[in-house]
Amino acid sequence: MPGSLWDRCVQRLESDLPEQHFNTWIRPLQAVQEEQTLRLLAPNRFVVDWVREHFYEQISAVVSRCAENSEFDLVIEVGTRRPITVTAPVEMPAAPRPAAKQYRAPPGVTVGGRLNPDFTFNNFVEGKSNQLARAAACQVGLNPGSAYNPLFIYGGTGLGKTHLMHSVGNAILEANPQARIAYVHSERFVGDMVSALRHNTISEFKRAYRSLDALLIDDIQFFAGKDRSQEEFFHTFNALLEGQQQIILTCDRYPKEVSGLEDRLKSRFGWGLTVAIEPPELETSVAILLKKAAAEGVDLQEEVAFFIAKCIRSNVRELEGALRRVIANARFTGRPITLDFAREALRDLLALQERLVTLENIQKTVADYYKIRVADLHSKRRSRMITRPRQIAMALAKELTSHSLPEIGDAFGGRDHTTVIHACKRVKGLRETETRIRDDYDNLLRTLTA
Amino acid sequence: MRQIPLGIRLRDSAVFDTFFAGPNAAALDYLQSLASGSASAGAWLWGLPSTGKSHLLQAVCAAANDSGLESVYLPMADLREIGAGALEGWGDQQLLALDDFDLVAGDEEFEQGVFRLFNELTEHHGRMLIATTEAPASLDIRLPDLASRLAAGVVFQLVPLDDAARVNALRLRASHRGLQLPDETAQFLLRRLPRDMASLYDWLDRLDTASLEAKRRLTVPFVRDVLRGVDKA
Repeated sequence: MPGSLWDRCVQRLESDLPEQHFNTWIRPLQAVQEEQTLRLLAPNRFVVDWVREHFYEQISAVVSRCAENSEFDLVIEVGTRRPITVTAPVEMPAAPRPAAKQYRAPPGVTVGGRLNPDFTFNNFVEGKSNQLARAAACQVGLNPGSAYNPLFIYGGTGLGKTHLMHSVGNAILEANPQARIAYVHSERFVGDMVSALRHNTISEFKRAYRSLDALLIDDIQFFAGKDRSQEEFFHTFNALLEGQQQIILTCDRYPKEVSGLEDRLKSRFGWGLTVAIEPPELETSVAILLKKAAAEGVDLQEEVAFFIAKCIRSNVRELEGALRRVIANARFTGRPITLDFAREALRDLLALQERLVTLENIQKTVADYYKIRVADLHSKRRSRMITRPRQIAMALAKELTSHSLPEIGDAFGGRDHTTVIHACKRVKGLRETETRIRDDYDNLLRTLTA
Repeated sequence: MRQIPLGIRLRDSAVFDTFFAGPNAAALDYLQSLASGSASAGAWLWGLPSTGKSHLLQAVCAAANDSGLESVYLPMADLREIGAGALEGWGDQQLLALDDFDLVAGDEEFEQGVFRLFNELTEHHGRMLIATTEAPASLDIRLPDLASRLAAGVVFQLVPLDDAARVNALRLRASHRGLQLPDETAQFLLRRLPRDMASLYDWLDRLDTASLEAKRRLTVPFVRDVLRGVDKA
């Protein structure tokens, strides 16, 4: 029979289980087959517990069926077949590891993640809001360890702190390809440290971090309240500074304003240079949009860039999201990006939650508009001044809700669904021939969906 | 005599082919690029219930797996029951689809977990796709770092279909099940049933079973009988 045992089981489980359960809980499991044991690896213990509780019996039965004449023990546990693919520029020789099973990810000592080669000074758009930070970062790129150490960049989310930080790293690497540089988000630093403690590799962890030429730590506000990590970082920080190795830190606010951070850390952060990045002013936002669009091979008119920049004032990341949305629409429709086109494309992004339109809401709005009572819409009265609003309300109910036509008829005094169909046809015809009815309908539609 | 149907009906797979795009074609196009690995950023789908968000998220994952990308569909309704720890360890995927993110927005532990996942994914150019009922501008995400990262994705609102498109969607779904649903029958259903797609698909399921049992085609008289039978029951 073709395929591994687990492959065959997966095929069966796919047809046996509801699709959503299969996609979430079964497909991501990785299998390791060892003699008479089938190990299924899940990313965390919560998934392990869930799979055991909800699917163990079913999986076990399928394994028995697919294994034909053999018997297999089924084990579900945390793990991955993949090695941790941290392609950090720095990898220290791992200390002898505890007896970890072969399929488990090794707790090797790696430092941080890779630098993003797309973040360079060349594609960082300079403006009043980030001039000083950029100049300082350039200096550090030219003279790491001596110009400003540490360099502390702070500012709101999505303004380019990470971009600037990577630019420095890339500049150092360009000048010295042997330089050992690590970029790490502070959350990751904490996670790696906890993992090193758990696997008894904390001394390798320390050595790895302290042997760097430059350490870039992003979003240090996430150290708040994590005392053990702060202590470790404090010592790493001191060791690096003493060795004149460069440290660059980013934070969402001025260091002294981060609560839950030790005072001795806050004070050391101020030893070098602290620079702010402010939200971009309109002209800078426009320049960013034009540059990003050009990088995507899209010719963006300046007036369109101004329009997008005016709509999204918060930060650069959201500005890029908006541009991507406009470009996605342009690529899909093949239409040129005009002002109207951009306005239409950004509607999804800028729209507030749609109000859920209910039958009651429609009836009340229509009754108010025509200055009649809601009870009139429910009544048997057949005078024109009542039937017309009633028909319009029915047509609006069909357009704006998912209620069935019998339900709509029912909501208007127990009328039949054929009455609703007739009303909708009548209103459709009248909107084509009578300006007043068309205007009334459009006004009501606007009121109900605004 | 009624025939008891065997479990041989085709299932409604949540794949791109069974999704009727109608006014949501631009979103579908972008999601296809996400599934093939060519999209420049993740995406954020939002829209009223029953507009196809869950279907599309699963379809993206299925197509991504077909093109060799590791992906997983994580429904927040299940994960919320398990706890934020269930978000750990998924960061090495190439595509993560988080459904019903509204359910955990505002929950500090979940927001931190999703933020961590986002950073891990980004480190190796993985993408995140989320779906919410709320519009991005109205959703209350407390962690600004997470809010801005999610907003960097391409935002699409999925809009409900109008009646003409509902008929087409219903007929497409029927044809994937190997069922013939004549236009007049579909129109008939639209006049009698709740018109949200979830209800209509649910009814298609019942009609499929009924037609197998009775060995009848989905003609208007047959469907009327089935609907009457349900009313009486």
